[in-house]
Amino acid sequence: MKTPFAVLSVLFFLTLLPAGPAEAQCQLGVPVIKVGVQGAASGPHSDYGRQIEMGATMAIEEINAAGGIAGCKLEIKFMDDENKAATGVKNARYLVTDWGAHFMVGTDSSGVAMALGPVLAELKRIHFFTHAATHRLTEDLVAGKGIKEIVRVSVPVYQDAIIAALIFKDRMDIKRWANIGADYEYGYVAWNLFKETLKKYRPDVEFVATAWAPFLTLDFSPHISAVMAQKPDAIFATPWAGEAVMLLRQSLIQGVFNDTKAWWQAMGGSVDVLEGISAEIQQDRFKGKLWATARYIHNWPDTPENKAFNERFKKRWVRLPNYSAETTYSAFFIMKAAVEKARSLETAKVIDAMKGMQIKNPGGVRTFRAADQQFVYNVPAGRPVMDAKYPIPVLGDLKVFDAKDYYRHPPFAPVAVTK
Amino acid sequence: MLLVAVVVLALFLLPWLAGRYPVYLAIQILILAVFSIGFNLLFGYTGLLSFGQAGFFAIGAYGCAKILLAVPNLLLGLVGGVAAAGIAALVLGILSVRHTRIYFSMLTLAFGMMIYSIAWKWRDFTGGDDGLVGIPRAPLEIPGLLSIDLSAMGHYYYVVLVLSLLAIAAMYRLVHSPLGLTLQAIRDSETRAEFAGVPVRKYRLIAFTIAGLYAGLAGALLTPLENTVTPPIAHWSTSAEPVMATLLGGVHTFGGPIVGAFLFFMIKDIIVRYTEYWLIWFGVIVVALVMGFPGGVMSIFTERRLAWRLTWPLISRPGKPAPAQRHDRTSED
Amino acid sequence: MDNIAFQGLIGLSLAMYLWLISAGLTIIFGVLRIVNFAHGSLFMVGAYLAYAFYGQMGLPFWLAILLSLLGTGLLGLVMERVFLRRIYGIDEAYQLLLTFGFILILDDAVKIIWGGVFKIPPIPAFLDGAWPVFGRYFPVYNAFVIAVGLAVAVALWAIFEKTWWGRTVRATASDREMANAIGINVPWVFSGVFVFGAMLAALGGAIGIPVRVVAPGIGAAMIIQAFIITVIGGLGNLKGAFVSSLIVGILSAYGTLFFPVFELFFIFVIMAVVLLVRPQGLFTR
Repeated sequence: MKTPFAVLSVLFFLTLLPAGPAEAQCQLGVPVIKVGVQGAASGPHSDYGRQIEMGATMAIEEINAAGGIAGCKLEIKFMDDENKAATGVKNARYLVTDWGAHFMVGTDSSGVAMALGPVLAELKRIHFFTHAATHRLTEDLVAGKGIKEIVRVSVPVYQDAIIAALIFKDRMDIKRWANIGADYEYGYVAWNLFKETLKKYRPDVEFVATAWAPFLTLDFSPHISAVMAQKPDAIFATPWAGEAVMLLRQSLIQGVFNDTKAWWQAMGGSVDVLEGISAEIQQDRFKGKLWATARYIHNWPDTPENKAFNERFKKRWVRLPNYSAETTYSAFFIMKAAVEKARSLETAKVIDAMKGMQIKNPGGVRTFRAADQQFVYNVPAGRPVMDAKYPIPVLGDLKVFDAKDYYRHPPFAPVAVTK
Repeated sequence: MLLVAVVVLALFLLPWLAGRYPVYLAIQILILAVFSIGFNLLFGYTGLLSFGQAGFFAIGAYGCAKILLAVPNLLLGLVGGVAAAGIAALVLGILSVRHTRIYFSMLTLAFGMMIYSIAWKWRDFTGGDDGLVGIPRAPLEIPGLLSIDLSAMGHYYYVVLVLSLLAIAAMYRLVHSPLGLTLQAIRDSETRAEFAGVPVRKYRLIAFTIAGLYAGLAGALLTPLENTVTPPIAHWSTSAEPVMATLLGGVHTFGGPIVGAFLFFMIKDIIVRYTEYWLIWFGVIVVALVMGFPGGVMSIFTERRLAWRLTWPLISRPGKPAPAQRHDRTSED
Repeated sequence: MDNIAFQGLIGLSLAMYLWLISAGLTIIFGVLRIVNFAHGSLFMVGAYLAYAFYGQMGLPFWLAILLSLLGTGLLGLVMERVFLRRIYGIDEAYQLLLTFGFILILDDAVKIIWGGVFKIPPIPAFLDGAWPVFGRYFPVYNAFVIAVGLAVAVALWAIFEKTWWGRTVRATASDREMANAIGINVPWVFSGVFVFGAMLAALGGAIGIPVRVVAPGIGAAMIIQAFIITVIGGLGNLKGAFVSSLIVGILSAYGTLFFPVFELFFIFVIMAVVLLVRPQGLFTR
């Protein structure tokens, strides 16, 4: 009984011993710039965490090969946040206080992002958010509470909701909308924002049915069937990733694409979704009625930079880059630009250096907006089609939306966050 | 005893010896330790395996959170959280202790998941899937007497340390009291206990409620640390943590759950630094422990027939049950 | 009115997946007195194996399902003979803990082998399409699932009522010492039942692959519902499991149509109420 305590106590204190001898320092006064990266690496959405990791790895490989940031090399450490707030916060604390991260990047889950916000202020480290889509991260925590350690590089939920309204406001033949929604904040906000925006342009539309599917729903048959009972003209759908593919598959066999005029799939332009519906696109099963968008799509913009990025990514990882990969990749280059301008790793100086920044990424030009610390950019929406140049479907018939047309801006009116 | 004193002293000196992250980790370990000794009162001492303790953990956490968001007084938040968890445990306990074994386990699983679904769905009160955020790490205040600011991790650590030590000490007294012995008697043979005049159900309820109080305390202590509470803390996978910690450390010793909490955190913390596949390692450890060391790590040191323990799984013939656990062994500290 | 009937049919197809996973769980409990926490993981392994044979290797759908059953059955055999068997004599709690350990291992194992991205193979051509029913389109695939589920129900009834093996299993379930005394090789029956239960879970996973994702964690999503169903029906009661599956499946379909507030919470309440009031289940005499 006595021995184990002794052994364990010794072990415990051994783990606390400081690291090895001091190392050589680069121009910014540290041996290496450390960046902590988090994403969902377990559970059914684990590909998004993987894509974040792939984007980050490729970014630092390229940056290091070109000499690093102000002559300093980069090192990343990827950790699984399990899409859980508690894990994300614990990892963040470990990465910053123990591992010594100078910056943090990533995070898929809005819940994790919201929990991280105040902790970032405590730890005084900038986190570049590259997927988490909740509007509250920037509208409440940045614009409202002034937590400047939060920087968002990816488009938030505005895209899923407002762009849909902008596209369909001109479809006078579509009057009855139904919702198959993700049964958590993302789904509620997207549907509420969509309704609110569309109503402004089209007071004649009706919202006839809604069905909510919790996270990890495997079978949407009852939800599809429930909304189709109300004979809608079009469907607004927010379950994403694998759930989107299942939802579309199950809708096809219930004849939804015979009886409706359009289907808006949030994040439908994501690589994993396009891969999943590849066969159906080839057979034109969706009859051109499926519309989608994504925070980045591999075939837009049609610039040499984007094409080259796709080539390099495919060569490195044997897959096309998903939006979370591009946003993460771009975050590193934003970091590079800011640190080089500030000539320092200090949080306050780096934040300051981002003011007025405009940077060219594979996804297009991103412009920093100081009011809510988001890097705004234009995004497209379109219909999934096959394109001989790519192994998987792409979004075609693209409509490009200017950031100023769909990004909400201060002062922010609150959005209903409930069903 | 001397060794325990040395360890406690070391724990008090920790913030001077180590950086912020080990202190943070130590807080998490202490919280799990409190959670686990409560659980083991129910499992190791009373023989009831509950898969729903996370429900009370969550009630403690959410209770503390709601109070802190209204009145930033740490003691109030802690007391409130613990009380809420205790009441819930009493109510659900009355229902649960009518059964044992498998039905008890499944009932507690059901109750735990009910609390989880309430946390997820009752958006107006619990914040739904977003949970409650921005909870202040309120100061330790007794109006008129003292007010200690706890925003520094080190300061909060001492609060958690003192409270955990008190809780552990209280449990120690409890299990060595007539109550503790009665619970073990019930565990070993319900019929015999009944014949001896013990009101079995009442004692089980007491154990269940105390376990709930400890779970609530652990949850309430977590809230000011993370400034956030979200529904996953009520999920059955969180209920599995004290189970695994206790199994790791040893079900039949008092210190087992505490040692197990430490091991659980260290193992997971170290594994996740190297690989994202930590679940499989944990699974292997659980299987290895159940097959070879149902008594946990502590049993390695307390069982004299260690060599026999190690080889039994290898030489046993299928169909022959392993020798029965000696339930009446509780080791002294 | 048509819509209501249609929703009921959809609910019936949902119920069949639940039935397949619950059937195995309840049989294993009835005979071995073990609650196999890892049953959802067996469901998931069944799905992954079927995906491997059908989606990756291109084998015919029916063959892929068959091979998936065999593969998962083999896994079940290993789980039972190498691990569970050795701890039968110890406290039940350890059996629960052991099966819990299996969940952790299997969940990561499929991720290591197949990666974390979800998989969804194409629908076999002959099961594609829909039939006009109640003025709506009822997918052929959902009808297929209902057919499989009903066939399994009938087959299980026949096996347990009419065959020698079925009677042997029932004898062992009701009194294993007596069964042993009359010469039944109880350990073999245990293994057989566990394998059989594993194959049923695998079937549930395998038939879903063209319309549901194959992803880590799909087992965990099902196991909780399976527990609820087996408890309501009575642990070890096959008929009870069938009826409860129907109830849960159809009710959840109607819940989506009528009261979107109907949630997992309520079925947990039902589970708790049954455990409290009639722990032997609603359908056990």
